[in-house]
Amino acid sequence: MAETSRAPRTHGSRRSPVGGKFAGLAITLAASFAAAILLLLIFAEDFPTALRLFFLSPFGNKYYFGNMLASTVPLMLAGLGVSLAFASRNFNLGGEGQVYAGGLAAVVVCLMMPDAPPVIVQILAALAGAAAGGGIGSVSGALKRSLGVDELISSFLISASVVLIVDYLITGPFQDQSSNFQTTMAIAPALRFARIMQPSSLSTGIFLGLAICLLAKLALDRTRFGYELRVFGSNGEFAKYCGIDTGLYTLLPMGLSGALHGLAGAAMIMGSYYKAMKGFSGGVGWSAISVALIAHNNPLAVIPSAFFLAYLEAGAKSVMVGSNVSSEIVAVVQSVIFFLITAKITEKLVGPSRRRAKKKTEAGTGRTATRQEEAQR
Amino acid sequence: MNFATDLVPMLSGAVAAMTPLLFAALGGLFTELTGMLNIALEGLITLGAFFGILGASATGNLALGVAIGVAASTLTALLYGEITLRFKANVFITGLATNLLASGITVVLSQQLFNTKGVVPFELPDLPVVTTGLSRIPLLGPLFFGQNILAMSSWLAAIVAWVVIRRTPFGMRLRATGSNPKAVVALGLKPDRYRLAAILISGASCGLAGSYLSLNLSAYVPNISSGRGWIALVAIYLGGRRPAGILAACLLFAGAEAFSNYAQGFLDVPPDFILAIPYLVTLAALVAGAAVRRAKEH
Repeated sequence: MAETSRAPRTHGSRRSPVGGKFAGLAITLAASFAAAILLLLIFAEDFPTALRLFFLSPFGNKYYFGNMLASTVPLMLAGLGVSLAFASRNFNLGGEGQVYAGGLAAVVVCLMMPDAPPVIVQILAALAGAAAGGGIGSVSGALKRSLGVDELISSFLISASVVLIVDYLITGPFQDQSSNFQTTMAIAPALRFARIMQPSSLSTGIFLGLAICLLAKLALDRTRFGYELRVFGSNGEFAKYCGIDTGLYTLLPMGLSGALHGLAGAAMIMGSYYKAMKGFSGGVGWSAISVALIAHNNPLAVIPSAFFLAYLEAGAKSVMVGSNVSSEIVAVVQSVIFFLITAKITEKLVGPSRRRAKKKTEAGTGRTATRQEEAQR
Repeated sequence: MNFATDLVPMLSGAVAAMTPLLFAALGGLFTELTGMLNIALEGLITLGAFFGILGASATGNLALGVAIGVAASTLTALLYGEITLRFKANVFITGLATNLLASGITVVLSQQLFNTKGVVPFELPDLPVVTTGLSRIPLLGPLFFGQNILAMSSWLAAIVAWVVIRRTPFGMRLRATGSNPKAVVALGLKPDRYRLAAILISGASCGLAGSYLSLNLSAYVPNISSGRGWIALVAIYLGGRRPAGILAACLLFAGAEAFSNYAQGFLDVPPDFILAIPYLVTLAALVAGAAVRRAKEH
């Protein structure tokens, strides 16, 4: 498990022209819809109804539409977190635990300060969520920096144990004694983000998500930090010779990635859920990886990409309620997206990079291939 | 805890818990040697577990069930390998895709076939236990020779893996694919063939790991692999990419798992913490292994 460069390409190093990229994206999206249709065809007892539920019900009324938009918020923030790690050639597989811990931290801050001014508490809760997620992410970054421990494996193992510990905290010390559900108490109404599309759970939190995507774009493109991160991400050796502190760019992106995941958890609490139920954030970490892959790690592209994932999930949820098909078909559809995007099948169909791909020696795949790609950039 | 009465069952539990880890880690060793970190092990185990018990129940034959479990994992590994190699895809993303596919499709199928996303119990006979004269050795006999046939095959698999990797031309070329792919090309061989072979071996091996898990329980439990694919990866690393080392590392992690199962009985610790023990022990071992390696380098 040597240290390797392996995260998917960043938006800073595109190989195909913009037109080709959009065509590739269109094919990926079309293929994921096709996969969804195929799954419904196989599994749904009433195919036309399931199809209608999947594709149309998210737009069916204000309630469904608003809820779908609300679920873009954590996907944007966590997707940005994954992108940031990818952009610096780090793999953060700990998203699940980071979102969950961030959500719980936000609830705890809100419950502990019932009398403080709401704005202050909201800010502190958001910071607590970011700190919880960031702390967890930083452990993997620090272990990689100091001992060369593979951050992909360490972040997964840490997250898996964090999920179990948060499960315990929710059902143990923070359990709402008056509730029959495994949940904490709800945060005070004054601390909840304002609803902007009643009766759905869409709140002003969506502006937070959009603003942070914009900020991330500016930070990545216009600041020294962003520049150095991109240089490090595209070529670690080169970055070293440029005098860039490469250790810093191992530690910092993992920490920031974790912080964005934690913030996503806090936003879910203050925006839609108001209390931390056991397992409330399950799946966000994995979906965030899809978001980053579709967005090619471009912070602005994260916004439509999060919307697309939210649409898939909303469709699958209504299929589950209205038919016999379980909502886990989304995981299968996501795996199709992963395969298609990383296999660059779409780019092969539309992009001009075919000749280049052929030039690669027989010897290169997996780790070796990513190294060679680095060299070619 | 009564030391005398609990120790033997706990050790026996550890030896049993080692089986799926060992199968998965030995399979992962082949891909590791060709230079790929195979994070799809987790999903391949899940598929083996689901289709293994499904097959056993459908055919009424445990051996056929295992074969079906192995076939399901190997076919999925073929998909994973073909996409990774043919399209020069990022092996980590395709690995994650395989895991997502496995966790998604097993839940969808479980809902379709059994109308539940929860535990699915099956009425199946126990895996046969191979008894030999050696089982009569006190303490060690029942520990190592009173296990079922899949558990005992896993130790055999470790020996086979050693022979194949160290003593056959295939093994040598496999290792060369990881350490010096250009030399393999110079020999007129195709490195990708060896990579694909390694991925298929890891698929079959995870099929055995998964089948053992579900058939041993006579039930399919959601998330049945519960991190074993990842723990197996750490075992490969800790074991220094050698079957003997991997065996030792798997025994260590299996010991942690068996201990945490037993600890629920006598330690006043919340069950969620106990479930976290295997992950934390694995993490600690990963960090300690890296620290030792770092110290040796300096």
